[in-house]
Order: sequence, then C-alpha cells, then structure tokens
Amino acid sequence: MSQKPTVDHDRRRRRALGVFQILIYGYLLTMWGIQLYMYSQRDW
Amino acid sequence: MTTSSEKQLPPGTTAPNATLHKWLQRGLFVCLTVLALEGTFTFPGLMIWYGFPDLSLVEMCSELAKVRYSDDARECIFLYPLFAPAEAAGQTTAQDKWGVQPRPEYKRIGFRELVQIRDDRLARQAAAKQADVGTR
Amino acid sequence: MNQSLSNASNVYDDHQNKSRDAQRKADRWMLPGAILMTTAVLGPIGFPLFLKGMAMQRRALLDGMSVRPMICTLLGYLVIMDSGLNSIGWSLDIFAHHSLISRTLVTAWGNMFDAGYFWHYNELWAGGAGAPGEKSWEYSLVPTVFCMRLAAAIGFLQMKRWGHQWLIVTCWFGVIYWVGYVANMTIFADLRYANIVFPVWGWWLYDIFYITPFLAIPYLHTVNREIFSD
Repeated sequence: MSQKPTVDHDRRRRRALGVFQILIYGYLLTMWGIQLYMYSQRDW
Repeated sequence: MTTSSEKQLPPGTTAPNATLHKWLQRGLFVCLTVLALEGTFTFPGLMIWYGFPDLSLVEMCSELAKVRYSDDARECIFLYPLFAPAEAAGQTTAQDKWGVQPRPEYKRIGFRELVQIRDDRLARQAAAKQADVGTR
Repeated sequence: MNQSLSNASNVYDDHQNKSRDAQRKADRWMLPGAILMTTAVLGPIGFPLFLKGMAMQRRALLDGMSVRPMICTLLGYLVIMDSGLNSIGWSLDIFAHHSLISRTLVTAWGNMFDAGYFWHYNELWAGGAGAPGEKSWEYSLVPTVFCMRLAAAIGFLQMKRWGHQWLIVTCWFGVIYWVGYVANMTIFADLRYANIVFPVWGWWLYDIFYITPFLAIPYLHTVNREIFSD
C-alpha cells in the first residue's frame, strides 16, 4: 500500500505556503520601495 | 536492510520537503547569527558614534536631549525622580513642521558630531561670558 | 523469547536514556547561550556557548541518538531570542523610559535608525517613544504575542504537540504585527526617517532579521506532526 510521494493535499499546501511567502515578501519589498521613493523625493 | 544511498532525512522531514527544510534551516541560522552580532555591536557602536568616551553617558544623554528639543538649556537629570512627570512634558522648544504627518527639523548628527557640538557651545558660552565681563 | 524481548526493551530504554541525556547536555549550553544573547550586550558570551551546545547536538544526531532535529532546535531558540530581544527593548520603553540607559541608548538608536524613538522622547504622559502608534504597539504586543511566542517556543523545544500548535498560532500573529508595524512606519515616514543618520536603509538592514515568523511558518506547516508528543 504505497502512496505517491507527493499527495495532492500536500502539493496544494506547499503551493499555498509558496503563495504566502510571495505575498509577505512582496508586501515588505513594496513598503521598502515606497519608503525609498519617499526618501528620494523628500529631503531626509 | 536497504542500502541507503540517499542521505538520511531528519525526523519530521519527508522527502518532498527536504530542500525546503534545508534552506529554512540555513535562513534560521543566518538570522540567529546576525541577531547575536547586532546585539553585541549595537551598544558599543552607538556609544562610539555619539561621542563616548569624550562624552560620558549623562553628557551624551544631555546632548541628545538638546538636539531633540532644540534647546541648549535642556539637561538630563541622572537618577530621575521615580514618580515625577515625563521629563519633557509641556516642552515648547522642539522644532517641527506640524500637520497630520509631522516632520521633525532637528539636525542630523554625524560621526562623533555631538562632541563638536558640545565643544562649540562651551566655546560660545565662554566667549559670551568674556564679552559680558568686558563690558562691565 | 521473553528474554530476547526484555533484552530488546532494555536496549531501547538504554538508547532513550542516552538520547535524553545527550539532549539535556546540549541544552545546558544552548539555553544559557540563548538567554545571554537575548540581553544583547552579553551576546559575545552567549553566542559561543550556544554554538558549543549546537555542536553537541549535532554530534548526538550523527551518533544516532533520538534527539530533537536541528531545525527544531534552531527555530525554538531563535523564537526565544526574537521575542526576548523585542520584549527587552520595548519593556525598557514601557517601564524604564526615564532610566539613563533608555534616555541614552534608546534615543541614540532612534537618532541613528528610527526617529520614532528619538522624536519627542519622554514627552508623552506615558513616557518613552512619542511616535504615533508606537506606544500602542508596545502595550498590545509585549504582554500578548511576545509572551505567547516565548511560551510556545519552550513547548516546541520540548517537542510537545501544544508547542508546535501554539508556535503556528503565534507566528501567524507575527505576520499581523509585521504588516501593521511597517504600515505605520510608512504612513508616518517623515517623522520616522527625516534627519536621522541612516534613513530607510538603517532600519531595514537592522530589523529584517526579525522575520523569524515568515521562516517558521513553512516549516511548521510541512513538518510531520508525529514527532511532537502530547
């Protein structure tokens, strides 16, 4: 009774975790980018 | 007994997750190391930037307060009384551009510039005193 | 038959005892090391202690002992350090804002990296950081998520099921505070970054290494839960 190494729900879970990583680091990069833009525009 | 040519996986890690776990482990170790280094160098680094040992801790505190509130008369009382109100409550000297997003107007402090600022101020005060004595 | 069974169980017990001892010996170095690193200034003493414990743990793993996986060790101790460092900094600001160390060290840090801790410091009735929202973040996070993360990390290091579950909960909590804190800083960016020594770069380079929750979440959701006991 061997199962496929990657079961479907496992694959879906890993994809969801990947989406989360992209979203969260994307958010941080966006905020950093906004701050850098402000830095370039305002006299800090 | 199977000939294990595959590397043994740590407990809890299944084969599909092995690479993910390996990189996460490396990331965690990097974070831990950097946090340890930050903790080590923050205090000495800040002290050196802001003028230690030319300025003692109390003098550094007073100089920072003078910059913060743009007020040459502000001093840090060491051993601030326990239940006294906040030390800057009601201050009126701070320079800010007020609005819904305030913007401070104190000057940037460069490397060991606090020492220079203090020395300049003492020189100015000495000169003013001389001039004062001279006119009498 | 009975003899071989009892022999087998003796060998098993022996192995379990040896493993438990090995883990305890390693932790005896790692825990003080982590605690010292959490005090920040005593980090140079704590880091070598921690590394020694890690080496002992690795030795035990290679010797085939049933000790905690290395990644669980790293994660558990890193969460202790992360929440501990945050708690110490913010506790100073909540309770000790008029101490010399706060008025010098915290404002100096603020002047260099994040003016939230410099601008109008000690002018609020509550003392400490005057930046909009900052005190609220401190009051809300220190007694809740930082304490909870610390407790969860301890349970996690003990390989308890509740430790694993609560570390998941508190790491997702960590996502919330990262999102909220960075948003607050961006909205009031003029206040936080104008006229400081290292605007924008300083804070990000300094604080990006506190992203432990983001690294923990993929691991906690993909680890086989069987390794955590009740």
